[in-house]
Amino acid sequence: MPPLQRAGQAPPLRWAVSMGNATQYSAFAGYHPLVNYLFFGYVVLVTALFPHPVFLAISFAAALGTSACLARRSMPKFGLLLAPPLMALAVVFNVCFTHRGVTILGYLPSGNPLTLESLLYGAASALMIGGVVLWCACYGAVMTSDKFLYLFGRVVPAMSLILSMALRFLPRYRAQAARIASARRGIGMGVSSPANPLAKLRAGGEILSVMVTWALENAIETSDSMRARGYGLPGRTAYANYRLDDRDRGLLVVFAVAITILLVLVFSRIVSVSYYPVFVMNAGGASPAPTVVWAAAYPVWRAVAYACHAAVCFLPLGLEVREDWIWRRARTGMLVDGAD
Amino acid sequence: MTVDGHVNYYAVSLAIAVCSMLPFVLAFEGRKPQARELVVIAVMVAIIVVSRAAFFMLPHFKPAVAIVIIAGAALGAQSGFVCGALAAFVSNFLFGQGPWTPWQMLALGLIGCLSGLVFSGAARLRRPRPGLPGLPGLPGREEGAFASVRARKRAERLRTAALCAFGFLITFALYGLLLDTAAVAIFSSGIQGEALIATYAAGIPLNLVHAAGTAVFLAVFARPMIEKLERVRVKYGLYGGRAAGCRPYSGRGKPRPYGGR
Repeated sequence: MPPLQRAGQAPPLRWAVSMGNATQYSAFAGYHPLVNYLFFGYVVLVTALFPHPVFLAISFAAALGTSACLARRSMPKFGLLLAPPLMALAVVFNVCFTHRGVTILGYLPSGNPLTLESLLYGAASALMIGGVVLWCACYGAVMTSDKFLYLFGRVVPAMSLILSMALRFLPRYRAQAARIASARRGIGMGVSSPANPLAKLRAGGEILSVMVTWALENAIETSDSMRARGYGLPGRTAYANYRLDDRDRGLLVVFAVAITILLVLVFSRIVSVSYYPVFVMNAGGASPAPTVVWAAAYPVWRAVAYACHAAVCFLPLGLEVREDWIWRRARTGMLVDGAD
Repeated sequence: MTVDGHVNYYAVSLAIAVCSMLPFVLAFEGRKPQARELVVIAVMVAIIVVSRAAFFMLPHFKPAVAIVIIAGAALGAQSGFVCGALAAFVSNFLFGQGPWTPWQMLALGLIGCLSGLVFSGAARLRRPRPGLPGLPGLPGREEGAFASVRARKRAERLRTAALCAFGFLITFALYGLLLDTAAVAIFSSGIQGEALIATYAAGIPLNLVHAAGTAVFLAVFARPMIEKLERVRVKYGLYGGRAAGCRPYSGRGKPRPYGGR
């Protein structure tokens, strides 16, 4: 991007968008909060609760791709950095402490057996933890607190109100703490720079205490103002900037269809997994199989299950890529137009 | 919660964590709390989050648990729970949400609740009185404001010491052990005694640092913070607090803290 920006030239439009509000630019974040929330609910729960290796691999790959894609758009990199050590820990933990399984590969220094099954389960739980952590990082980038409040404002109104007020207070208190510290320096009560830690702690405590007084007085004013505006009276509505349109309804239908198919296939045990005592994947459906034709179709049904899961998991990534492609094509067009 | 015959411990423990928070949430929502109460809780939540962020450079040496304990002691058990649980949730907007969020919420919420039960429960049952909240039986302002300055200071010191001891124990025993157990449930295919013991052993130094931090922050912050909270509580008649001979501030006109009508 930098080569495009020369002195005296307006920055490209893309910058203006991504600097204003990082989530604006993400295509998936532009959908209705309900769609966002259901998607993350699905991927986190399925990843955390169903240890099928193919499902975990699909989910992890999608989480990696989506978080890498969102990380370019100023998502915090925390999740990406945190995932590898946690995943390594999961493998080590399982191998060291789980001695179930019948395939013994060797013996640990402690004398306990090292089994193939515990290694496999360790690998699966590494994918599970990595997937959940990365999905949670994406969740943080896409489900901003205003969306959360929009969804849960009616279910738990008091808690949501506290949440939204606390989030608003954070930047305010940071600014106020800086103001108090500078005022204290001004009247000669600041901490000299090579202060001992205890004095620093004490000064921090005093700033905090000043801030608490101010914040509480301020809070009373806020609540009186809320009362004056009729907080808690019946019949009041809240403004929301979200509309469930056809685009969102389309995605909801896709989710519903995919999840229904998956539930049927998982609970009929056509797609299944068991790690102990022996690792068995897709052991079979309802036994005995109703008909030979139905049994012969098992591989097809398994492929359908994997496809459904992949379709849901990769959906945001697909939307981002599509958006990028549209954007790039439109911008190339604009540049050509501008050259004329 | 069983998939193919074996128990999914993550699912079970997640369900336990969520279900054990539900009664508190339902009780709080069902009470339809007043705007003023909500704003004070929001203030405490924001302060806890800011304080956790302010000490980001010292791992595990955080004032968050200390302030949750103060909030519980000053505002009562139910508000203490809400403060702790929401503070964990909000601060993870900054530090990263993850599979650990429900347990942090549960642990901090329980700490706030227990602190409320220990340090403000008995006092709430009696006539709300001005002066110092805290351990039952300690002298408040009405019991010799001028005569026993020394006794009051001694009582204050006693209360701070009690808070510090409580903070140390609860951080080590409740927060540390609960989150270590959650870590085993997250990482392992089952809850084995061996894995639990190893995790607890590995967690001891970190939990000790955390607990010591909580005690230090309580020693420094507890007195000024509780005084401020108590001041607002008395001045505006929040949470049943009111000055002697003064009706609670109704929101109409100027508050008249001392002297009444």
